Amino acid sequence: CSTYQETLKSDDIGAKYALADSLYDIGKYKKSLKLWEQIVPVYRGRPQAERVMYKYSDTYYQLGDYYLAGYNFERFVKSYPKSTKREDAAFKSAQSYYKLSPRYNLDQGDTQRAMDKLQEFINSYPESVQIPVANDMVAELGTKIEKKEFEIAKMYNKIAVSQFTYPAAIKSMDNFLSDFPGSEFKEDALFYRLDSAYKFAIGSRRDLVTERLEAAKQYHETLIKYFPSGKYNEEATEMITDINERLAEAIN
Amino acid sequence: QAQRELPLDRNTQYEIASIKVTGTATYNEGTVIAFTGLRVGEKLYLPGEKLSNVIKKLWDLELFSDINLYVTGLDGIKVDLRLDIQEVPELNEVKVRGIKEKKAAPFIKDNGLNKGAKVTENLITTTDNYIENYYRKKGYFNSKVIVNTIDTPDSIAGNKVNMVISVDKGERVKIDEIIFEGNEKLSDKKLRKAMKKTKERNPLRIWKRSKYIKADYELDKVAIIDKYKEKGFRDARIISDTIIKTEDDRISLKLNVEEGNKYYIGDIKFIGNTVYSDAQLAAKIGLTRGDVYNGIVLKERIEQPGDPDADDLANLYQNSGYLFSNINPVEVNVANDTIDFEIRIQEGKLAYFNKITIKGNDKTKDHVIYRELRTRPGQQYSKQAVVTTIRELGRLGFFDPEQLTPEFKNVDQNNGTLDLEYNVVEQGASQIELQGGFGGGGFVGTLGLSFNNFSIQNIFNKDAYQPLPMGDGQKFSLRAQASQLFQTYSVSLTEPWFGGRKPVQLSASFSHTVQFLFNRTPGQRGFDVDRDRRFLITGGSLGLAKRLTWPDRNFTLSHAISFQHFDLRNYNTGLFTFGNGSSENLAYTIGLSRDNTFTNPIFPLGGSKFSITAKVTPPYSLWNGVDYEQLDGERQQAVLNGDQTEIGIIDQKRFDWLEFYKIKFNGTWYTRLYDKLVLQSNLEFGWLGAYNQNRGVPPFERFFLGGDGLGGFSLDGREVIRLRGYPNQSVTPLDRVNNSALTSNDGATIYNKFSLELRYPISFNPQATIYALTFVEGGSTYDNFRDYNPFQLNRSAGAGIRIFMPAFGLLGLDFGYGFDPIPGLTSPNGWETHFIIGQQF
Repeated sequence: CSTYQETLKSDDIGAKYALADSLYDIGKYKKSLKLWEQIVPVYRGRPQAERVMYKYSDTYYQLGDYYLAGYNFERFVKSYPKSTKREDAAFKSAQSYYKLSPRYNLDQGDTQRAMDKLQEFINSYPESVQIPVANDMVAELGTKIEKKEFEIAKMYNKIAVSQFTYPAAIKSMDNFLSDFPGSEFKEDALFYRLDSAYKFAIGSRRDLVTERLEAAKQYHETLIKYFPSGKYNEEATEMITDINERLAEAIN
Repeated sequence: QAQRELPLDRNTQYEIASIKVTGTATYNEGTVIAFTGLRVGEKLYLPGEKLSNVIKKLWDLELFSDINLYVTGLDGIKVDLRLDIQEVPELNEVKVRGIKEKKAAPFIKDNGLNKGAKVTENLITTTDNYIENYYRKKGYFNSKVIVNTIDTPDSIAGNKVNMVISVDKGERVKIDEIIFEGNEKLSDKKLRKAMKKTKERNPLRIWKRSKYIKADYELDKVAIIDKYKEKGFRDARIISDTIIKTEDDRISLKLNVEEGNKYYIGDIKFIGNTVYSDAQLAAKIGLTRGDVYNGIVLKERIEQPGDPDADDLANLYQNSGYLFSNINPVEVNVANDTIDFEIRIQEGKLAYFNKITIKGNDKTKDHVIYRELRTRPGQQYSKQAVVTTIRELGRLGFFDPEQLTPEFKNVDQNNGTLDLEYNVVEQGASQIELQGGFGGGGFVGTLGLSFNNFSIQNIFNKDAYQPLPMGDGQKFSLRAQASQLFQTYSVSLTEPWFGGRKPVQLSASFSHTVQFLFNRTPGQRGFDVDRDRRFLITGGSLGLAKRLTWPDRNFTLSHAISFQHFDLRNYNTGLFTFGNGSSENLAYTIGLSRDNTFTNPIFPLGGSKFSITAKVTPPYSLWNGVDYEQLDGERQQAVLNGDQTEIGIIDQKRFDWLEFYKIKFNGTWYTRLYDKLVLQSNLEFGWLGAYNQNRGVPPFERFFLGGDGLGGFSLDGREVIRLRGYPNQSVTPLDRVNNSALTSNDGATIYNKFSLELRYPISFNPQATIYALTFVEGGSTYDNFRDYNPFQLNRSAGAGIRIFMPAFGLLGLDFGYGFDPIPGLTSPNGWETHFIIGQQF
């Protein structure tokens, strides 16, 4: 360790490089990072910089600092367009951004950026072996964004018990269904839209009930059209029976 | 340096044979060349775009004070280049002359005059301007600043300079006189008063010193015109204004005004309104035919862009969905001194919110925020709802209130829809309290942790520790306090939306306290803690509070169940009649409160607060089969015999499970009397009763009146009520005949208190809210309703001050004079000083 400290304090760039490289090779990334940080500014513009920059970026990647890994790999790709490591760096950059994507119920700014970067990679290296992985990642992030939107819409249905936010739930489900027509939450969205519309109707002022029940009936039809025997069948049938009964009553 | 003209051809591409860099001391030649991007062998035009770009790039670095590129040799198309650069000197030391070092420090900091800074021309000029402007703003109209640099020869460090800033701030320029000409309708005095910042010299005015600041003067000129407009002089203007220098540090201002005629309002016609009737709009405007034409008021009644809560026409439309509405007052006819108006309204289409999004929440989960929003998808647009949402999000404490901004997106006038995005910036919502101090006879250490946006469901999820599980909007706090004599531990958790469906607040808490007695060895300082003599309290509570929608949204209904276990061992302090034994306190509390005080919670300008609570225990004596009447008889006998042991045994039986009911009422009203002068009137009442008179009222949970009202260390559920002008907890019932040592301090079962307090704010600075107060109050305690007489009060009056600082909470100092004697005295109690600490508004 004392050689490490000595090298860290010395002015010998060559020695620093050699040590950083050997530490990097044996996986001691934390120690090697301290050296890279000192070396990188010195090598900037020199022929060895390509190798230094790649390893420096990869050290961040290995350490799990995906914010800096993503940024530095991206810079690497821009600075060394002819590098053989270019594709690898581009993938790792996109992957770093992917790893920064937070859980679905927080701000998805980073998710959106990761999707953009992955798409950029897919477009730039259509022949890459990493394409299936990248596609999977894009799909996963897409689902995450769908889940976010769906869960928010569902929350309006949930708090409607006390806040009467059924219209907000219906509107959000509408928006969700038109924004993500092929979503895996489609069935849930269709059901919760029906559920909200039904509960909204029966909780309404008397003169508005019929009109709103009719709307709920429409939503039921849409649900049945897409998912004739779906997971919400039982509940939906119960609702439509009640809707029909109430409508029949209203006519008489 | 001798220069030769080399025969260069503009149209020839030259090849670089060599590049040399001269003049630089600190940069390596290779570095500079690499930066320029020029390479040996490269072909370029001389002069040409490439070279100018190189030079520009170098200039942009702001590292060099001089950059020259020379062609030193020419051989066919091969050229030798020499780049001569002069580095900008680095700053060594700054000296400021003419002002004190302390005053100079902020200038040095603000302009970045640190050792090693690059001394560019720009830096020198901005520093100069910065200081000069600083003094101009303070009224030093003649301030002069000179910045000099002096080379410091230093052969090792290279190019360094010392900076000398000479400041001559000169005399503060005062205004001798403000002279008005041409004013007949408004007096000089009135006009001078309208000028808020620019004032004549007056030794009696302390707060606003006379000074001349151009920007303020310009604003004050507008204020003069506004004053005229208020009085109907629509055409008033300032024809000319002159500054007359009377002395070196004195000026006079001369303003020439033209007043014009006084105008009156004629007919006001509304055009284009379909949603609101003419009568409704006219009522909002509030001006009718024959009123003096007050341009300012008219404008304000139509629209006040700075005030989102304004009661004006624009908001009438904005709050009922008409986002695209546009209101334009037009003078259609001026006949003599009467002006007819048309208020032209374009209502536009009703607008509805489409998507509502939150951006920037990287800790707080979506549902915690979305459930609080007052704007929801599909809902009709309302400006008020947006404003309220912003305020309520700020109140959550998770986000920086200053940075909460709503943003309208995809505003579609044809479809009448808009998306709304709230930008939030998370802020630290946790507090750590770590303190140590001497008190209560020894060192007291406190460790408190309070997390304002906790996530209890993630407490066992190790991935959520970043650094703590956050984002579910719960409040979680832990606190431990310990000294030689006592230890207290407490934990509490609050979940504002229990179950996620309703805004029902669940709170749970647990606490444990041990208190020891000590032995004092005579003749020795200090004491020995006696761990065999202790008092132990363990308890917890579980509560639900719900904000009601009926009768209005300011009501809160709360329920709580609490349990406390008291355990005494050899703890004979006179506080309880039994030194060994235990008591259990299981109680249910129901409370209804209403709070509609507004603007500033520390200094409400209006509204009222009231709460009524009832705390009850089960009536054990109905079924537990103990004959309390007999027990009471035995106790009276024991009291007659003076048998303390027997009393203790009997009392242990009476108070094994506490049995009582307690009803409290507290009402506070805030009335704005004048400007910011607020009257706080307060009424309080409390009553502790027993179901079974033979079992009696327990010695716990009682009321102690008098003094600063600080709870301190309360062992027995006592309620300490503030009554200034008397010592702490000294106001015992007046009708109590037997004021023996045994009963002197066991608290009362009934109390009432009335108080009137006048408050006036001194500062609303966010760092410290300060207000002064003066009060009259009175209160008294009683042992039972036979003695109850709300007019038989211990009265007091006095004055004080409160300072609220976010970091410290509320601090206060009150002086109160007690007009009545406290029990045991015959003369008025006189002056008392009270220190007030904590969140009591």
